[in-house]
Amino acid sequence: MIKKLPAKWDETWDVVIVGSGFAGLAAAAEAAGKGAKVVVLEKMPTYGGNSIINGGVYAAWDSKYHYRQKLNLGDDSPRQHVEDTLKGGDFYNIPELVQIMADGAADALNWMIDEGGARVRETVTRAGGHTAYRTHSAVAGVGREYTEALRKIAEKRGAKTALNSEVTWIWRKDADPKSPVLGVQVKRGRRTLNIKAAKALILASGGFSRDIKMRMAHNPRLVPAFGCTNQPGATGEMIRFAQAIGADTLQMNFIQLYPFAEPETSILDTPAVYPFNGPGYGIVYVNKLGKRFVNELERRDVCAFAQINLGANMKPTWSIFNRAMVLKMGGSYEEVDAGLKKGRFIQADSIREMAGKLGIPADALVKTIEDHNRYIEQGKDPDFNKSITKVMIPLVEGPFYSVAQWPAVHHCMGGVRISPTAQVIDVFGAVIPKLYAAGEVAGGVHGSNRLGSNAIPDAVSFGRVAGTNAARERA
Amino acid sequence: MKKRYFLLFLLPAFLAVFFTLPGDRADGAAQKAGVSCSSCHADLKAVVSKTHPPVTGNNLAACLQCHAPDMGGEAKKNPFSVRIHTGHIPPKGSLDCLTCHTWTPGRSFGLIGVKGSWGAPTGEDMDLLKEIYGTLAKEEFTARLHADKGVACASCHGKALPKPDDTVENARCLTCHGPLEKLAKKTEPKDFPDRNPHKSHLGEIACTVCHKAHGPSKVYCLDCHTKFQMKIPGQAK
Ligand SMILES: Cc1cc2nc3c(=O)[nH]c(=O)nc-3n(C[C@H](O)[C@H](O)[C@H](O)COP(=O)(O)OP(=O)(O)OC[C@H]3O[C@@H](n4cnc5c(N)ncnc54)[C@H](O)[C@@H]3O)c2cc1C
Repeated sequence: MIKKLPAKWDETWDVVIVGSGFAGLAAAAEAAGKGAKVVVLEKMPTYGGNSIINGGVYAAWDSKYHYRQKLNLGDDSPRQHVEDTLKGGDFYNIPELVQIMADGAADALNWMIDEGGARVRETVTRAGGHTAYRTHSAVAGVGREYTEALRKIAEKRGAKTALNSEVTWIWRKDADPKSPVLGVQVKRGRRTLNIKAAKALILASGGFSRDIKMRMAHNPRLVPAFGCTNQPGATGEMIRFAQAIGADTLQMNFIQLYPFAEPETSILDTPAVYPFNGPGYGIVYVNKLGKRFVNELERRDVCAFAQINLGANMKPTWSIFNRAMVLKMGGSYEEVDAGLKKGRFIQADSIREMAGKLGIPADALVKTIEDHNRYIEQGKDPDFNKSITKVMIPLVEGPFYSVAQWPAVHHCMGGVRISPTAQVIDVFGAVIPKLYAAGEVAGGVHGSNRLGSNAIPDAVSFGRVAGTNAARERA
Repeated sequence: MKKRYFLLFLLPAFLAVFFTLPGDRADGAAQKAGVSCSSCHADLKAVVSKTHPPVTGNNLAACLQCHAPDMGGEAKKNPFSVRIHTGHIPPKGSLDCLTCHTWTPGRSFGLIGVKGSWGAPTGEDMDLLKEIYGTLAKEEFTARLHADKGVACASCHGKALPKPDDTVENARCLTCHGPLEKLAKKTEPKDFPDRNPHKSHLGEIACTVCHKAHGPSKVYCLDCHTKFQMKIPGQAK
């Protein structure tokens, strides 16, 4: 495939960013803040990618509010965050990259709060794979809380966003390893145009969970029958273009299932975040037989495959919780009421009644919950060896709630290879001049399995690194 | 300079009937001869409404004495340009653009029997205009729904000739359909108030994400929320 460089450029910007999610907007804000002329290209007619629809949970060891400390929820540190992330990723992660995420997390959160007006709820939760109460919840209940904050900062600093602008090729001068990236080809409406990136190009184009071909090329068991939580634009063309100009990729087979998506449409709606936020406060997962099937504090891959391995006709499973847990786990009563009306949450005054409503054996469910209550009391879970903490709440007092759940393809841990400066590395191990990547399009931060609530700090922290460094390049 | 030319060209262009362009794309013999309204409408009085003041003359120049082309580019209802175009192009009529217009590609564009040229559209420009005007024929499309209510091209597009990838900004739509809060209130579902397309969880999105004027409109929500029951005016039949 020989493509001739464009004879002329239709537009010229200092920094061109592909993708308008957390990573792209954070990069835009930082680059524009350094005085660069910045454009964000987004192929969809709306901005925000997976970021704006995300669950809004954000892992950081601290924030300006210090909720963990104030609520007496134990210790934490960036180092502990790094260790959890490495362990959760089976140590496939590149430690230097993990460090940047953990170190940047609290600062990035405060930045979005102070400069962008983002708001977080007054609690922190302990989510699967994390050993500390460090997961913050957005007031909006979705990632829009942060995308709006980042957009505000970026726009204030002069960055522009162009929607309906699909990048269809990356222009690199030639095949010489020292040759720089020059710009991109863009399809905008009926027109194809070429846009020059005088200082640098930043790939912030997200993951490829919706790209069945790419997904199956690396992980054949993720057949089309699996639903997907992502927005329709989460496809892998930018990774292909990057590969075509020499970029290296890594760990493309590590693709995560979200264990608790809405079973029929695979949407990750607000109720679907509850099962993820609940384990630190004693939420219980049960199957159609009324039995637990996993340690609820387990990582996502374990929780997902524990369901898939239940066998045929075992879809869905449920999370059971009660009213006393709602606020602590970052939820709200308004959300619960809205979910009840939609039939997403089911309410009952007793566990027996709940079993009836779910159509599962009542005796079994009652026994499961009573056993689990006793485990909390005794501080020991002989069934699944869950580490019990003293803030976990036994399911004694109603009303009780349940939400149906099932795994769906969710997150790509792999992607293009980057350096700690967010520069893209080529297949020979050298930096590709003037090419950066940040967020889900880049691989190596999360290893084999991303811990929930780590993607936002990853995307924002690396977006900031990429934007800052890109603006420093020579035009 | 070129842009100004276009600007001049556009508004009278709404007077044009662009339906089928002849192959040679140049002034034809018929034009030189001039076409009067009365060659089809023996009695012009019968065409206009009862309350219409008497018409003197038998061609477009007569109309233009009172009906100025919409030069303002503001949003307004029932302008002459829409009424005359929709009356003459499919499905109601079947006239060719050059039945009423004069055109020398890249050089001039005007109205038969009316002095002056309003611009210099190229063949490409004309192809686009022809295509766009063609969508007026599709009665389910939003452009036609607007035209039927007398909302002219310039009401949405303003003064300048739209470029191929142009769009209409929300503020423009909201001059008639707004304010947004009121619109959102109108479309709030009774059962699930948060499933309101005009109060999306995607923030303040462009109207044109769903509402397409010159093509079928489509509820964007349904791309992900496959189980929602939602309809939109202007959707494909
Ligand atoms: C439903 C859901 C819930 C989630 N919840 C959480 C959570 O609560 N906490 C957490 O930490 N993580 C969560 N995640 C993961 C996290 O949201 C994503 O990993 C993160 O949003 C990725 O950000 P990004 O900026 O890298 O990419 P995105 O936000 O996906 O942005 C990439 C953008 O690039 C655009 N693009 C792609 N290709 C092109 C192209 N060729 N030309 C132009 N534009 C292009 C896409 O359309 C997209 O808008 C969730 C993910 C999903 C799907």
